[in-house]
Amino acid sequence: MTAVTGVTGESGTGRAPGAAGGMVWLVARREVTSRIRERAFLVSTGITLLIVLAVVLVPRLVGSGHASFRVALAGTGRNPIGPALAAAGRPAGVGVHTRTYPDAAAARAAVRTGDADAALLNGDTVVSDGDLDGDLAAVLDRAHQAVATRQRLRDRGISPTAVAQALDVPPLRQVTLAGDADHSARRGVALVGVIILFGQLIGYGNWVAFGVVEEKSSRVVELLLAAVRPWQLLAGKILGIGALALGQLVLISGVGLAAAVGGGSVRLSLVTLGIVGQVFAWFVLGYAFYSSAYAAAASRVSRQEELNNVTGPMTLVLMVSYFIAIYAAQHPTGVLARVASLVPPFSAMTMPTRTAVGRADGWQVGLAIGLMVVATVLLVRLSGRIYANTILRTGARVRLSEALRAREPAVT
Amino acid sequence: MLEIDALRKRYGDTVALDTVSFAVRPGEMFGFVGANGAGKTTTMRIAMGVLAADAGQVRWRGDAVSFQVRRRFGYMPEERGLYPKMRVGEQLVYFARLHGLSRSGALRAAEEWAERLGVAGRRDDAVERLSLGNQQRVQLAAALVHDPEVLILDEPFSGLDPVGVDALAVVLADRCRQGVPVIFSSHQLDLVERLCDSVGIINHGRMVATGTVDELRDRDGRRELRVVVGDAAPGWAADLPGVRVRTGAGAEVVLELDESGDDQKVLQMAMRAGRVEHFSWRRPTLAELFREAVTV
Repeated sequence: MTAVTGVTGESGTGRAPGAAGGMVWLVARREVTSRIRERAFLVSTGITLLIVLAVVLVPRLVGSGHASFRVALAGTGRNPIGPALAAAGRPAGVGVHTRTYPDAAAARAAVRTGDADAALLNGDTVVSDGDLDGDLAAVLDRAHQAVATRQRLRDRGISPTAVAQALDVPPLRQVTLAGDADHSARRGVALVGVIILFGQLIGYGNWVAFGVVEEKSSRVVELLLAAVRPWQLLAGKILGIGALALGQLVLISGVGLAAAVGGGSVRLSLVTLGIVGQVFAWFVLGYAFYSSAYAAAASRVSRQEELNNVTGPMTLVLMVSYFIAIYAAQHPTGVLARVASLVPPFSAMTMPTRTAVGRADGWQVGLAIGLMVVATVLLVRLSGRIYANTILRTGARVRLSEALRAREPAVT
Repeated sequence: MLEIDALRKRYGDTVALDTVSFAVRPGEMFGFVGANGAGKTTTMRIAMGVLAADAGQVRWRGDAVSFQVRRRFGYMPEERGLYPKMRVGEQLVYFARLHGLSRSGALRAAEEWAERLGVAGRRDDAVERLSLGNQQRVQLAAALVHDPEVLILDEPFSGLDPVGVDALAVVLADRCRQGVPVIFSSHQLDLVERLCDSVGIINHGRMVATGTVDELRDRDGRRELRVVVGDAAPGWAADLPGVRVRTGAGAEVVLELDESGDDQKVLQMAMRAGRVEHFSWRRPTLAELFREAVTV
């Protein structure tokens, strides 16, 4: 993003950082060191971390509450069904706690007061308050069938050992077309990735816009431009804020991933790390694209209050991208997902989603990245031009047609 | 020598600068005066490269000023501007580095200029927490911190208290002694007259006068006598040939003489009228020269 106006070879002056790169570095360094101390940055990092932890951990906490049931037992057939219920629930991850009541009336009362989710009477009747939970119904049914089958086989004179062997059938092996069994976990990572990507792009894009207007409204820009070229100032600002954003992204993903792996909802594998790596790569591309668009828009106005009027289109495109990406996570093979994952800048959020759920070929990823790089280079050049043309113009908002007009000839 | 050569600038139908030219020698302090909107700021912004001229050239030491050369100039824009939330010390170091100083050099220079301009005690405060006068001092320090080869200051004295004015005057005189050409604009004409070696007067985008204050006075061609006569009857000078009374209140009168007016005759008349306490050619002030130049 340094090729905005083209660097002309200039001889050094004997003083230290005269080189263009040195100037960009100085500007970027100021952005990082002054912003990292701002309370807004620390607060936003903290809030984002909390959101990510909540997204990763809360479904698990809530889910474990659902996957455990209390069943009241009464009447005959109590003894064999208790262990059978526990055995039937195990493969599905459903815990069943049983409690024996003296008679059917007491068991019914337990269901009515909510002490039990269901009551099993005489081993053949289920009583529930309203609809029976689907998971629990399946477990009860499976346990009931196992006990009844075992009893009938024994009645025919088959030995208990032989019955146990005959009934010991391993559960179905799961194979998904996506290539591995982690499908829902991968979709989860993809969704969290999209949410973070969206937050970082919109948050830091606005920071860049805010920073541009801050320099304009405080008039410091005139002093700056006596020493640095407009493209150096713009590149330094985008790189500096981008470095902060990337650092924050690494921190958030690290913490989020550690929590998810520690909580057992995601397995740490090359696939998972590959998805995270792709999210980083798409963040860099998306940030380069959106931040330069935000900067160009912001350079057209002179006051913070007018910022929303000019950054609206970028925010809208980001929102649309976000919803497409969320939709694509659910329907990764649909037309919308396939098209949006190739078209810049929608690809920045949709393609990582598609790859995360394992529905993109290598060439598609390559094509999407290639198109995005081309779009970003074009936009950066255009933004650099708008920025250089408008950054010193104060007062009313500069019309886009004016901002795009050829640069004023430099003073010789 | 810093040469401003035939600058032209037009905004739509408005001509902002019409062939503006002047030169400032090394070690010379140049006062740039003119009414609001006359073109001072436009000229200075073009000299600093933050505005492009339609035509004309700015040269330093005989060569057209390039971006790299301009980085060694010091500039104070009319619209003051610093990062409001950045600390004074860090800000000065940042500007010094942008203008090409090394890290250690920038630290040293920032410290020195904060000290010289009396804001050393506020080094760790955000600029927005300083009074306007102190912000102005920081602004000056930002213009001076990289030991510039040329100083271009737009209204550097406005907003300063008398102590600040004196401090700045000392600093500028010191820069001049180091061989730096200094251009500054101001509406405080007595200050310009006191400090400047030469003066440029701009009116509606055209330079109407340039030169030393003495040269401008000589060019003025006006001949005025200031005479104080004790115990004289009013109107003693009224009937002298070639003499016009410009102001006359009490003992002091200012007389304007045309070509036929004779100063010796005036003196004789004055001695006859009373006791002459004061008799001298009166030199016009810069304010008078300015008023005359811009009302023509």
